[in-house]
Amino acid sequence: MTYQLLLPQIFLFLWAILIFIIDFVRKEKKHNLAYVALLGIVITTVLVLTSQKGELFGGMFQADSFSAYFNLIFLLTGFLTIASSVEFTQRLPSNKGEYFGLILLSMVGMMFLASAGDLLTLYVSLELTTIPLFVLASYRKDEFKSTEAGLKYLILGGISSALLLFGISLIYGLTGTTFLTEVRTTLIVRFLSTGNVGPALVLGFIFMIAGFGFKLALVPFHMWVPDVYEGAPTPITAFLSVASKATGIAAFLRVFFHAFLIFQVDWVMLMAVLAALAMIIGNIIALLQTNIKRMLAYSSIAQIGYILLGVVAASSRGVSSVAFYTFVYLFANMGAFITAIAFSHKTGSDEIKDYAGLSRRSPALAAMMAVFMLSLVGIPPLAGFMGKYYLFSAAIEQRYIWLVVIAILTSVISLYYYLNVVRQMYFQTSTEESPILMGAALKTALLICVIGVLLLGIYPNIFLNFANQAAMVFHY
Amino acid sequence: MEILIFSILAIVAVVCSIMVICQKNPVASALFLIATMVSLAMLFLLLNAPFLAVIQIIVYAGAIMVLFLFVIMLLNLRRDEFGPEKRRAQRFFGILFVFLLLIGMVTVIEVGIFGSKSTETVSEATAPAGVEPLAQLLFTKYLFPFELASVLLLVAIVGAVVMAKRRL
Repeated sequence: MTYQLLLPQIFLFLWAILIFIIDFVRKEKKHNLAYVALLGIVITTVLVLTSQKGELFGGMFQADSFSAYFNLIFLLTGFLTIASSVEFTQRLPSNKGEYFGLILLSMVGMMFLASAGDLLTLYVSLELTTIPLFVLASYRKDEFKSTEAGLKYLILGGISSALLLFGISLIYGLTGTTFLTEVRTTLIVRFLSTGNVGPALVLGFIFMIAGFGFKLALVPFHMWVPDVYEGAPTPITAFLSVASKATGIAAFLRVFFHAFLIFQVDWVMLMAVLAALAMIIGNIIALLQTNIKRMLAYSSIAQIGYILLGVVAASSRGVSSVAFYTFVYLFANMGAFITAIAFSHKTGSDEIKDYAGLSRRSPALAAMMAVFMLSLVGIPPLAGFMGKYYLFSAAIEQRYIWLVVIAILTSVISLYYYLNVVRQMYFQTSTEESPILMGAALKTALLICVIGVLLLGIYPNIFLNFANQAAMVFHY
Repeated sequence: MEILIFSILAIVAVVCSIMVICQKNPVASALFLIATMVSLAMLFLLLNAPFLAVIQIIVYAGAIMVLFLFVIMLLNLRRDEFGPEKRRAQRFFGILFVFLLLIGMVTVIEVGIFGSKSTETVSEATAPAGVEPLAQLLFTKYLFPFELASVLLLVAIVGAVVMAKRRL
């Protein structure tokens, strides 16, 4: 066995410990540990890019192109989150080092999860991902809303884990194994000998979908999202809305496309209904929001609905469009949140109406925000258009015309609330004239997002090739 | 015989866990939680897993519950801090949906057992019970999630300290 495959994860874990130690040992807490954390992420990215493919522990750990692709998503999101946290942590009264360490540890969990080849590893790494997030969501202990966010996230995270575990235990009870490939073969053998899918298996599917549904914030399980997103520190909200969802997508694809793909008639229709609900309810409630964080929370619920189109298609093209759109969503959503971070540092406000006149106060920032908003709607030539194009075409290929019609109609609805932000920035005036000043790290993060949105929109092929390779992992 | 013991233990476990969240007094809640844990331990015994049963009692019913009780006693909650009464409509719909879920699950399971065509079987437990086989499994086949769990515990400790301490 070559343990080298674990190198990126182990390195990032040790780097997190290193940050804890540096923070504990040093006397003067002048320098910000954010740059140390960023360095660690950059090195880990290099390790991921140069790592080999293979599997360890009898298939429990899979290092393939799928895990590498999602690892890059997690690392990039972590990088942007930490870069945009520099100013936030400077204002923290205490525990500055642990903040970065916990983000890195959560990323370690995500990276293990993307490689999980059995249900037990999947569950443990899912917990490793979410437990630091509970703490990070309530990091502003002096603020009531932050504490509330942490508590709500903790309780609902517990419920979702319980649902997921119940589903896993049903699957384990039916097959006697936790390995995804063995689950697959056992179920196929049984299916061929009896000719039908038993109700207990379907019950297992439903519970697992509900468990993942909480992580992904699908519609009947989305109640916690707005409160948690509003109360948590904004960099953590950004991290939750992108990395945590990407984790859920990776886990869902691993389990359902690895083990249960031949039973797709039993769960694809359920996912199609959930996708339709997410798009309709997410977009309509987002219309009513006046707070940018709550608006982005509902918009992220709607965006997950679009991503599910590719899952519903259940084809190689579907998976590659899901993987591609996750990258698109990363750049646009992180960009929007980073703009909100910069804005609220200066003004202390998260209200959309306070964005009035931003185009005169900070033309560059307003222009970038407009780009992110237009990309989230899916206006060409930005990344969002290409992403939605691939998702919709994958769904049409599998004859889900009704779902694509809903997706296009709700995209039109979403135009209203995304463009409302643009309207405030460009067509409303305010008495405030002072520009929004940003630190170097925040500027870099914003620049990365803008370049990403433009690059993916104009030259999607670079990333699409990677996404196609990632989708090749599953047997369709 | 086994199904009788199982039903009794299962009913005790479910009723006690409902009582945990229905009690106003946190000490009573904690005591009901102990009862739940103990009946779960009995269920483990019934599943031919004596080691797990013992661990369940020592760790959960013993150590963790004692800590729970200590914390509750130290906090010394007054009656008005127990929180406001839950809204009636919320409670009504909660109970309604729990019953709907129960009916749904019972139907599914009944179809599964008595439906003529289905032949779903629960696979037999393959590993022998006891400390030694368990340890062997943990350190060979399931080494990876086992080690991963140690990282998880570290994260939980760091998280708890960060939450509890004002200044490190």
